[in-house]
Amino acid sequence: MQKLPKCNLILWTICLMTMILCAGCIQQKPLEKLGLITTSGYDLAGKNKIKGTAVVQKFDPMTRAATKVITSYAKTTKGLRQQENLQSNQKLVSGQLRSVTYSRELAKKGIIQLVDTLNRDAAIGNMVYLTIADQTASEIMQIENRNKGNLNLGTYMYNLIKQNVEGEQVISPTLHEFNHNYYDIGRDPVLPILKVKGKDVIISGVGLFQEDRLVDELKQGDLFYLKILVDKYKAGTKEMGFKTEQLKKLILKNENYTRKPIFSKIYVTVDNIRSKTKIKLVNKKNLHFRVDVKLDSRVLEMTQALDLGKPASVKFLQKKFDQQMKKKVEELLLRFKELGIDPVGLGNEYEAHLRGKTITKEEWDRVYKDVTFDVHVKNTIERTGVID
Amino acid sequence: MKINVQPKEGLLVNAFLVMFFIHSVQTGVGIVGLPRIVYIAAKHDAWISVFLGGLFSAFVLAMIVLMLKKYESADLYGIQVDVFGKWLGNALNVFYMMYMTISFFVILMNYIEIIQVWIFPEMPTWQISLALILLTIYAVNGGIRIIVGVAFMSVLGTLWMVFILVVPMQYADPKNLLPLLNTDLKHIINGVYKTSLSLMGFELLMFLYPYVKDKKKIFMYTQIANLYTTVFFTAVTMVCITFFAENGLARTIWPVLSMFKIVRLPNLERFEFIAVSFWMLVILPNMCAYLWAASKGFNRIINWKQKKGIWIIGILVWGGSFFIKARYQMNELSDFVAHLGFLSAFCYPVLLSMLVLVKKWFLRRKKSSAEAS
Repeated sequence: MQKLPKCNLILWTICLMTMILCAGCIQQKPLEKLGLITTSGYDLAGKNKIKGTAVVQKFDPMTRAATKVITSYAKTTKGLRQQENLQSNQKLVSGQLRSVTYSRELAKKGIIQLVDTLNRDAAIGNMVYLTIADQTASEIMQIENRNKGNLNLGTYMYNLIKQNVEGEQVISPTLHEFNHNYYDIGRDPVLPILKVKGKDVIISGVGLFQEDRLVDELKQGDLFYLKILVDKYKAGTKEMGFKTEQLKKLILKNENYTRKPIFSKIYVTVDNIRSKTKIKLVNKKNLHFRVDVKLDSRVLEMTQALDLGKPASVKFLQKKFDQQMKKKVEELLLRFKELGIDPVGLGNEYEAHLRGKTITKEEWDRVYKDVTFDVHVKNTIERTGVID
Repeated sequence: MKINVQPKEGLLVNAFLVMFFIHSVQTGVGIVGLPRIVYIAAKHDAWISVFLGGLFSAFVLAMIVLMLKKYESADLYGIQVDVFGKWLGNALNVFYMMYMTISFFVILMNYIEIIQVWIFPEMPTWQISLALILLTIYAVNGGIRIIVGVAFMSVLGTLWMVFILVVPMQYADPKNLLPLLNTDLKHIINGVYKTSLSLMGFELLMFLYPYVKDKKKIFMYTQIANLYTTVFFTAVTMVCITFFAENGLARTIWPVLSMFKIVRLPNLERFEFIAVSFWMLVILPNMCAYLWAASKGFNRIINWKQKKGIWIIGILVWGGSFFIKARYQMNELSDFVAHLGFLSAFCYPVLLSMLVLVKKWFLRRKKSSAEAS
């Protein structure tokens, strides 16, 4: 018992020494000697070759322009990294990668092998945004150069997508969600499409995938209906157009508006939309789905004076909304069915009711052709702003 | 060898602390990969398998407590000698020591692999294993009270990690769990079997028992500990099944860590760094407990000083760490230990406790008939 303290002291010393040894021997990564890849883009460059463009953030106290765009060619993305490293005075690391862009050409051929390496690499986070370039990815990366390195494209693109995801304009395109939808049998991913506009990069639409191949594209207006189906709105905004005859009943005659309306159609914008969607398999044999959409919203703007004071007229407007939305949702679902893609996750719902057997991807693709829908939309206009 | 161990009053631990001990030796390196392993066996009903596995271990724990209560203050080393005699009993003792040494080794190597994959790819195995083994030896040198203290600290220090599960839950798709009970019984049982590597550890109660102060309360506390482990494991598995896509989970080696990747703190992009580092706190009591119980054998069987045993096992394990290089070797070893663990932690204690019960019943009858005549 008396000896114990001395023995422990020796142990302590050895312990501490190994700890120091461990800490000293691993590779160090001082920030000034690193180039952080914040965003990178991939293009197909001829046969068996990809072109990678990376925007690198540097921490160099001497220079002001802290970003650099590096382009290189290789067979694999990690090969690209090697090539890129040859063009950099700082070691390139990908721990701060915020978004990855694939060219449309690549996306049409399939991107899963390129996504797989992101999954495999422990250094890359799960919340990296995946996007599709309208034309080439390098074109988007070169925006950094056009802005003379002042834009900080990596952060810019990250905020561009993040802000719009939070504003419920775009469906969240993180690596995790792509994986989830890709590896799920009854579901296909969607990713936003980016476009160059002047010196800026903008979101132009949403690409629809069949497994990992881009097959179609949704414009901003239709995206609303897709988002209704896959997600829910907490504070969305939607602009809807009606023919003048459709709403004739509601038009106020003696109002101080201009006699002749500026537009030939009537547009109504609702905002603060809260939506809730239930997709249910009602008939397992005939594969009949019932889609129930419920929306609560308020009217905020219309291009012609409409009488919204009476309960009956608000109800009338609600009904018009219902009809139009129902039509659009049905159109969208049929379009998905024709393309053989399933961004809504109907297959998931089907699978959840499939007892006693499992379904393969091919089987689902086969039965998906015979799916029928029954869409019900229910709008509630809660408010009409501060005036009637 | 004496069957009963009579430790000094100062070495005893509270029965209340046994709860922390059991939970922390059950929760270890296994849980990081558990959801995937069970998912491969039992598909989306994996959580049912994990839950049933927990119930099974509760049953085994109850049997162990029942057996231990038949003795005044014995550990497994003593009981085996009492039941099987000197030679066979000691052979089994040596076997159990080997099993615990290998378990210690597997826990260590699994954790080192995680460190190398997730944080420091360049760090050589021998350095990390040296540091960890020395740390373990240091703790075990302090005796059983220190080990139980480490277990207590580990449970309290990592309790907050449970709440991190809320973040991946936001990305969960509960439909993945439906339809319930769609997997047939064979696969679910297979899943229960696969759970064994992660639930292992409670068998160490058989070595801790003589050191518990209030032996009457032990049944309740061990059951509470096991229940908590079961609920925790089931919840983690459920979240994993809903978080990952069906084919995605089967491909992810450490689903729990991959899940932590989505947690983002304002000034820390990568939460899994913290998770992996904190995991040392989770596995430290495991390593300590296995090392302590295994080295205790030297003291009990050949009457050496336990300290000698600690160093022998430590050096053996450190030497062994040089032989494991690749993922597939690790896989084979883990599978082997899972089989071994299933036999020695689940099946064997049940068998042994039955033998003990029969023996005690037989002796009592003999005694009472002797008294009667």
